[in-house]
Amino acid sequence: MTAKSKITISRRTLLAGASGTLIASRAGWAQQPSEVKVGLLVPISGLYARPGTVMREGAEMAIDHINAQGGVKALGGAKLKLVVLDSGDTTEKAKNAAQRMVAQETDLVAASGAYLSSFTLAVTEVTERANLPMLTLSYSDLITERGFKYVFQTAATAGSQARQALPQLIKLAETASSKRPKTVAILTDNTGASIASAKAMRDGLLAENQLQLIVDETFTPPLADATSLVQKIRSAKPDLLFFLPTVISDAKLLLEKMNEFGLGQGKVPTISFGIAIAEPDMLQTVSPELLQGVLTCVASWGAKGHEALIAELKTRYKEPWMTQNAISTYGDMWVIKDALEKAGKADRVAVGEALRTMDGGPSKYYPLGEIKFDEKGRRVGAGMTIVQWQAGIPVTVFPPELALAKPFWPKS
Amino acid sequence: MLRMRSCLPPLLFTLAYAVVSLGVTNSYYQLILTLVPVWAVFGLSWNLLSGYTGLISFGHAAFFGIGAYATALGQIYFDISPWLLIPVAAMLGGIAGLLIGFPTFRLQGHYFALAMLAYPLAILYVFEWLGFQEVTLPIKREAPIAYMQFADPHLYTLLGLALMLATIVLTQVIERSRFGMALLAIKQNEAAAEAAGINTLAWKLRAITLSGAIAAAIGGFYAQVLLVVTPASVFGMLVSAQALTVAMFGGVGTVWGPVIGSVILIPLAEILHAEAGARIPGIQGVIFGIAIVCVILLAPEGLFWKLRDLLRKRTASKAAVSDTPEAAAANVTALKPAARQRAATGEVVLEVKNLSRSFGGLKAVQDVSFRLHKNEILGIIGPNGAGKTTLFNLLNGFLKPSQGEVLIDGRNMSGQRPHVICEAGIGRTFQVMRPFLRMSILDNVVVGAYVRARTDDEARKMAADAVARVGLSAVADRVAGELSTKELRLMELARAIAGQPRILLLDETLAGLGHGEADEVVAVIQQLARDGMTIAIIEHTMQAMVRLVDRFLVLDHGAVITEGLPEVVTRDNRVIEAYLGKKWVGHAAN
Repeated sequence: MTAKSKITISRRTLLAGASGTLIASRAGWAQQPSEVKVGLLVPISGLYARPGTVMREGAEMAIDHINAQGGVKALGGAKLKLVVLDSGDTTEKAKNAAQRMVAQETDLVAASGAYLSSFTLAVTEVTERANLPMLTLSYSDLITERGFKYVFQTAATAGSQARQALPQLIKLAETASSKRPKTVAILTDNTGASIASAKAMRDGLLAENQLQLIVDETFTPPLADATSLVQKIRSAKPDLLFFLPTVISDAKLLLEKMNEFGLGQGKVPTISFGIAIAEPDMLQTVSPELLQGVLTCVASWGAKGHEALIAELKTRYKEPWMTQNAISTYGDMWVIKDALEKAGKADRVAVGEALRTMDGGPSKYYPLGEIKFDEKGRRVGAGMTIVQWQAGIPVTVFPPELALAKPFWPKS
Repeated sequence: MLRMRSCLPPLLFTLAYAVVSLGVTNSYYQLILTLVPVWAVFGLSWNLLSGYTGLISFGHAAFFGIGAYATALGQIYFDISPWLLIPVAAMLGGIAGLLIGFPTFRLQGHYFALAMLAYPLAILYVFEWLGFQEVTLPIKREAPIAYMQFADPHLYTLLGLALMLATIVLTQVIERSRFGMALLAIKQNEAAAEAAGINTLAWKLRAITLSGAIAAAIGGFYAQVLLVVTPASVFGMLVSAQALTVAMFGGVGTVWGPVIGSVILIPLAEILHAEAGARIPGIQGVIFGIAIVCVILLAPEGLFWKLRDLLRKRTASKAAVSDTPEAAAANVTALKPAARQRAATGEVVLEVKNLSRSFGGLKAVQDVSFRLHKNEILGIIGPNGAGKTTLFNLLNGFLKPSQGEVLIDGRNMSGQRPHVICEAGIGRTFQVMRPFLRMSILDNVVVGAYVRARTDDEARKMAADAVARVGLSAVADRVAGELSTKELRLMELARAIAGQPRILLLDETLAGLGHGEADEVVAVIQQLARDGMTIAIIEHTMQAMVRLVDRFLVLDHGAVITEGLPEVVTRDNRVIEAYLGKKWVGHAAN
């Protein structure tokens, strides 16, 4: 009996001592972490490996810049460390990767991802339950309509982009050709993002802007032949053509056929949504002459003020220009860094709270608006950019404060 | 007793799996543990149709996706709990199976596989067109359990396991019943199955309905796990391929195949994705693909069968040491060549009137008429291409006659489906043997008994009886793949008589047999005749035939040349001419 109580006492003292040191060391670690981990969950294998890789390049550049400028000052100059996870090419793989991220990378403070909006939807179902803040460039409205608290959408949503783009395009046309466009044609494939943009236009946006829809065609990628579509355009002669492809081969096929029918190179001004038509891969199959003048409305793009970044991306990764994937992910890392400064500790819940309440002033890397999120997690005042193919490079032409070149309206 | 015993391994496996899963606290590993039973069940549903019937479906994603979307949309638009929606999804999947099966079963082989491929791809576009590109399940924070949204991921695994156990047991019950036997018979030879009295279309429809229901149920559960449903993630090619991959890797046509495949492949793919893919993005797909190719090359029928064969070989070599070789060999009961009344004058059981069938310009059978008397043995002979087998095919319903009638007991049965004619009492064997190689002799024969048996037990009894009548009782438990040609011929005979036909059509039953072996088979046939069976037999070997038959019917170029007693027919000049050519007619006369 006495022997037993003796042991208990000694064990207790031991335990107390051990936990004391543990707490002490942990507190010290929290005050001065040498490294803070940030996640990047993007497709780096499979069908979407190319955009995912570009996102990684943007993130790596940002991390290097942040660390070179002294890391997170509120954490004693702690360096950021990027943890890259492959979301693969299916929704299931993306979800599995997200589960792996929250289960095995327990010290992540925030993450960015996951390219396709369907991946982001699945991934955020996991990160939300793990209280891990997730920044995304995906712009499906659905992502921030579920009442989630840890999802932050940096791009304007699809519906908002279409709403912003139309008046600008009309203004552009009016100033360039001194004639207001009246009729439009829509050629869209039936993928999620394209359908959402086309639907917003049909359901009122065109009418609001006094535009009349005279051709409305939906196709399933990949197109085998674009002749019948182009013939409809030729006989209807619209003032504007909204062309929404997702697959590069479809864009090529239609642009070539337009050219063949004498409608190309701006005879019918062609406007796209999304980045498919402005990806570097386009140039591998379509000649710059065919692309000259084609416009596309994107959530974000390398623009004025990013010249140094664009140059660095070019020399470091051999990317010919800076797409939304690179610049947005670059910006994500800076936003996470700012949130860490505000939170003052490397803790995901605190970072989430900081993101919800932060007011980081005008946005530097996303077009227009502020570094501030509304109650849904959407960036306040998020704008969009209009990009135009000029001499083999898609350059930002709108908004004027971000434009790297003046837009030209194809002469008819 | 049998049922209890076969339930034990899946129950133990499920319990062991559950214990392992409860020990896992990492939520990522837990998710993988949940996905294993999901894909196992999907593989099992594919196996139920394609594994047992041999009709490969490349389109099981159709059912899976219908289940997933039904579960997701039901929650979004009608606020119904998935506990209710998953059974509803199963029902919809079953209906879809029926609707898809009915037109598609007109096709066979590759055509069936390709047609099945089209369904999910077509449905995928329909769902895209409907605007369901991305559907997310609403979070139910107030009543998570009622909406199957568990905070504890173990519960998903346990629920998946419950579904898997249920599917395994259901598959086992089917495997042992007339349902499973019918499907296996269809796989081996659909025509032979019809001839054995199996209504193949009805069984195939039942199989695809059940298979569709299971696939849809697990698709609904999958939606619940993934929380996001997109057309590509539930109707995509990769989804259909997943069912094939796990089933073919693990073993086709066995309940354990898809389970083995899923238990190995799903975690393997994830580990590769997490470990190798982190170093070289994309390498995981390459390694995974190579691994599957290697296994398929080494074990074309899947791991299960390979392992079973290895195990069997080991036990067989052990058994060979202890057993005497005599016991292993088939021991045909010696039959007394007792004389039998030639009964060419009895009551007419089968009457053929002016039967004709032409294929384009070729008249394969023309104007054939004859009568088959009760308890008689009629030999049908003729040179190659005389139309003997075509005549049999007309009699048992494989072919529809162009003209003429087949009267069974006075009823005109011409043009009926084979299984109907089988039910009317006509059994047949085939020139080319169609044993079910992986099944025991008894199981092979049971397939034939179902046409008469009402219950599984009755069928087993009738099969055992038939096996005894052909003298194979001693080897009844051996696998058909290990048998000699003679034993296989006898087994086919047993399968034909297991359904207790009154008339037996034997197509070259003695082909490929040695002299002594032929005698043994002849003895069995004679015994059948003595027991009251009426027999029509096609044969080339005159020697054996002359001793066996009561009467000959001689065909040449599709028409009857002559018929009569053996001793008369063999001397008939027209017969000699037909068999040997004109110049032998003179020789024969001398």
